[in-house]
Amino acid sequence: MFLKFLFICSSLAVLFGSLMVACTKDIMHSCIYLFFCLLGVAGLYLTLNADFVAATQLVVYAGGIVILMVFATMLTGGSAFQAHNKFGFKKIPMMGSRETYIIGFISAFLFIAITFKLLLNLKEGLTPLSGQMPFETVRIIGHKLVTDHVLPFEISSVLLLGALVGAAMIARPRRG
Amino acid sequence: MINLYSYLGLSFVMFLSGIIVLVARKNIIAMLLGIELVLNAAGINFIAYTRFSNANLDGHIFTLFIIVVAAAEAAVGLAIAIRFFQIKETIHIDDAVTLQG
Repeated sequence: MFLKFLFICSSLAVLFGSLMVACTKDIMHSCIYLFFCLLGVAGLYLTLNADFVAATQLVVYAGGIVILMVFATMLTGGSAFQAHNKFGFKKIPMMGSRETYIIGFISAFLFIAITFKLLLNLKEGLTPLSGQMPFETVRIIGHKLVTDHVLPFEISSVLLLGALVGAAMIARPRRG
Repeated sequence: MINLYSYLGLSFVMFLSGIIVLVARKNIIAMLLGIELVLNAAGINFIAYTRFSNANLDGHIFTLFIIVVAAAEAAVGLAIAIRFFQIKETIHIDDAVTLQG
């Protein structure tokens, strides 16, 4: 019962948040709707017995990436918008115009059509099983991370170090 | 009744929203928001298949690596966006024509 309530709340947050990220006109509002959408995704992870991934989602995404996006939006705001590019053509506005949204919905419709055409053939293979889940996942994930998946674990540490140094290196202002 | 298809439908809507953002927007930061939506849709699929199909938790580890890569990508992408704003005074994607010659 509680599981169903949590699923309904988080799926509403995911649907509303993702559609409003796609359709709103303000970049800051878009960041806030992305925050709601990521909260909903964390709730969906909780309904799927993935407590450790839900906590990581909350900490990394909702606590880190959305704040980073908001700060980057504030640091890059107030730009002088020129209406023409360097070839003299009229530029598309920053958050998309009607034509770009029409193109986007056409591509989404094509994606829906192709996906359903492909998936209708293998509908028998997609029947959901009611698998037995282990009740606690943190111990098993920690054990797997240092035995089976130790190489991508170490590589991700190198990736994070490189991304940190690279981000600080790129964003540093070079004066003189 | 909550089954696998409800989770797959949710992640499908999320992926489509990300694709529409990537196609329609011309702001670099808004396009990064679209990339986050697409990566989260992939994560929902991994966790849902782990719950309903096999229970050996490899999908959870894949989702953790997706989160790690998304964090690194957001940091580097926003650094590039801020640097681009310092040089060009705009973050419109059509102004990034320096490498076109």
